[in-house]
Amino acid sequence: MSRLARRLPFGLILVAIYMFLLAPLVVVVAVSFDPTDAFRFPPPGLSLRWYAAFFSSEPFVHAFFRVSLVVALTVSLLATLVGGLAAVGLVRFRFRGRTAAEVAFLGPIVVPEILLGAALFLFYARLRLQTTLAALVLSHLLIAMPYVVRTVTAGLSGINRSLEEAAMSLGASRLQAFCRVTLPLIRSSVLSGAIFAFIISFSDINLALFLTGPQTVTLPVHIFSQIAWQGDPTIAAASTLQIALVAVLLGVGQRVFRLRVAL
Amino acid sequence: MSGAPAPRTARAWLLVGPGLLVLAALLLGPLLQILTVSLFTYSPTRIWIPEPTLANYRRLADPYYLAVSWTTVKIGLLTTLACIVLGYPLAYFLARTRSRLVGLYLFLLVTPLMVSSVIRIFGWLVILGRRGLVNSWVQKLGLGDGLDLLYNTPAVVTGLTELLLPFMVLPLMAAIENVHPSIEEAARNLGAGALHVFRRVIVPLSLPGLVSGCLLVYTVSISALVTPALMGGRRVRMLGNLVYDEVLTSLNWPFASAMAVVLLAVTGGVMLFYLRTMRAVSRSRVVAE
Repeated sequence: MSRLARRLPFGLILVAIYMFLLAPLVVVVAVSFDPTDAFRFPPPGLSLRWYAAFFSSEPFVHAFFRVSLVVALTVSLLATLVGGLAAVGLVRFRFRGRTAAEVAFLGPIVVPEILLGAALFLFYARLRLQTTLAALVLSHLLIAMPYVVRTVTAGLSGINRSLEEAAMSLGASRLQAFCRVTLPLIRSSVLSGAIFAFIISFSDINLALFLTGPQTVTLPVHIFSQIAWQGDPTIAAASTLQIALVAVLLGVGQRVFRLRVAL
Repeated sequence: MSGAPAPRTARAWLLVGPGLLVLAALLLGPLLQILTVSLFTYSPTRIWIPEPTLANYRRLADPYYLAVSWTTVKIGLLTTLACIVLGYPLAYFLARTRSRLVGLYLFLLVTPLMVSSVIRIFGWLVILGRRGLVNSWVQKLGLGDGLDLLYNTPAVVTGLTELLLPFMVLPLMAAIENVHPSIEEAARNLGAGALHVFRRVIVPLSLPGLVSGCLLVYTVSISALVTPALMGGRRVRMLGNLVYDEVLTSLNWPFASAMAVVLLAVTGGVMLFYLRTMRAVSRSRVVAE
């Protein structure tokens, strides 16, 4: 009993901190099921009215499926490829400039995102590339790549090279040995990297605010402009769909591939 | 070295090359470009003319921009402080708990980080707005009606703290995990109370984690854009808002570039200071041992 009395205050503090951390997400999800547009919590009833509104809203559907999803999938694929190759080069080879290259890959995380956004906007403007999907993909590739490099580097460092050497002494080529032996062993880090790259692109707003044009509005940017125009709970439905997608990816990732948190 | 390493080095560059190309083209190039443009002269008709000038930097000394810079620094410091206060208990708990649910607790900490910041700020607008949750409860209890909870400094600090708290908790947690529980126990056995142990044992020994956390939170919060735009309204403006407006609305790219360069210099300076203190901390560790 005295033990409980001693621990209770600390427990209450922890609950309060978690409530603070999760309050905005919980409220957004709850409001999306509200049958009215009064933004009440808890909602007076349950309805899918705002989800219907979401799916019948051309700008929301376009932003979600035609822009954000397409960009995030492309970025995930490219970042995993480019970042994964770089990680192999960094872990498996000793060459001049290796440490410098390693530090360089942290660059995109160190530079504040809005500065990257502004700098990329001016850069694309000179190339007349601004507001294209390609511009968005390349920019997200830049900020997603470091996370892939990090997760794959971590995965590779834990693999004993003698396994590959054994395969090679049994007649496999270097490439075969890597693909057949090492790649399956680092599968979970590669997939973690791909998932993070997807999420970083899918939830980015700071770069997208500078880089989207009328045809390339991403979901976060569309939500941003709807909030600025005092929109209805369709915003909450769209947000809930994004939260659900991210939570499923993280949850499944954690279960199936022992997702590594790359921070 | 013998002849063998040459092809191996070539192969390494082939692997790392595409990534470095992306960095050179999309990080180095654009940053060098804003550095150059920040030294060019603004022209209302052609955006910039390549005539070198320091006018863009001089304009930053104007009282309005100094006031915005001060707001930015103040909000950064307040956010960092709030994250320390909320982050320590959570980090301590996560580092020390033996609960089977620790995976869930971590999931609940990290998931918000993965959701777009604009969504979390939207949640705060619903909670704190004029017709929001807090106000509806206040009204129901008859404590007044229509409190102005948004568009002020505390609102922006609240939003940023919620957004950035995990950046404080994760490095702190890692640092506290490295402090052996027996050290705490020894202090307790010698008669120290819980708060005393925290202040004299946990805080000093988790200092490297605290410094990383503060650095992350501070640099991200001084370059905030969406949070002040939505929660600060017209009244609370930070440097990020000015950069955005100059780039996309006023089209004064030389001036926007100058602001961006200054912001980059400040965050870079903080990073450098961090690396040096970290080295000093690890050196004093060695001496202490």
